[in-house]
Amino acid sequence: MNEHTNEPQWLKALKACLPLMISYLPIGIAAGILLKTGGFAIWMIVLVSLFVFSGGAQFLIASSIMTGTPVFTITLLLFFLELRYALLGTSLSKYLKNESKPFIFRFAFSMNDENYAVNYLKFSTDKKWSANDALMVEYFSLLSWTVGNIIGGILGTKITIDLPIVHFALTAMFLYMVTMQLKRRILFVPVIISVVVAVLAVVMLKSTLGLIVATLVAATAGYLLERYLKANYSDSAILKRIKNPRAREMEQISEAEN
Amino acid sequence: MDAETKRHLMIVVFGMIAALIPRYFPMLFFTTRKVPTWFNEWMNYMPVALFSSLIAKDLFVDHSYHMVFTNFNMYLAAIIVVIVAYYTRSMFLSVMVGLLSVWGFALLFAAM
Repeated sequence: MNEHTNEPQWLKALKACLPLMISYLPIGIAAGILLKTGGFAIWMIVLVSLFVFSGGAQFLIASSIMTGTPVFTITLLLFFLELRYALLGTSLSKYLKNESKPFIFRFAFSMNDENYAVNYLKFSTDKKWSANDALMVEYFSLLSWTVGNIIGGILGTKITIDLPIVHFALTAMFLYMVTMQLKRRILFVPVIISVVVAVLAVVMLKSTLGLIVATLVAATAGYLLERYLKANYSDSAILKRIKNPRAREMEQISEAEN
Repeated sequence: MDAETKRHLMIVVFGMIAALIPRYFPMLFFTTRKVPTWFNEWMNYMPVALFSSLIAKDLFVDHSYHMVFTNFNMYLAAIIVVIVAYYTRSMFLSVMVGLLSVWGFALLFAAM
């Protein structure tokens, strides 16, 4: 197993990030096409991909410039769209306690839903996963996103992309993440609450702020239910773990690595 | 620099600031402070809740913020993705199978 532990850092990060990089390409191309259609120059598409680095935000920018929305309104819409990143940073912070302020700045600057999902899974399952590995995952995803956007910008209106279908790559990634997170039965409770509240809140608020409402409500409900059950019914069936079909295999791998 | 380029540049710069504030400050706050145990326990529920809300929006809310319950190709593909994810534990396979099935079901339903 020596070759495994001597694997260079960039290769380890690249392997963890590869599925995301592949998913990002078509979606990046779609974003690039829309920005180009909205009138963005290629170099502007590069800037927005590097410095805003958010699918949702870039689709919003593309549609806003097509409809001539004022810059101030766009900024406000973007701020509310991106407000959920506050949750990502907060939940990753326990893994980044020993890092310097400049590192936190660089890390936060390139963090988004998708690379957060990859890094959270690695941090919570791989004890050797470091803050630097996580930052590298962010840069690999940034690279693939920007390349996709550039390709889209060059293609412009020459091709059409079925956005709902391409976007499903990210939906599938989040479905995978939830499935991997469901290690205990009690976690079904926040999942169901979050789905119901998210649909209602996003529709009622006409904004992705509804996602924040749903996340906070569902996480709080899960946490309080667990505390209540542990205090009153500590042998409750809801607190039991969920069988993992690959658990034995994974234990063998980690034993072999040790 | 013409007026349109200037306007686009302003959107990029303000967009960057709007994205950076919620990305940076909460993270800075919570990495430089001691947080109580209950907070970390609460935070353990955050990823699964956040991912579920993103999935719910993708499947049941359209771009003009209306509820939709007719994306049948997505619902079937979503079930397949969960099964593939549960048995293979592979993100790559899950995403690829998901894309193929959402596309395949869309074609199938269009042909029906």
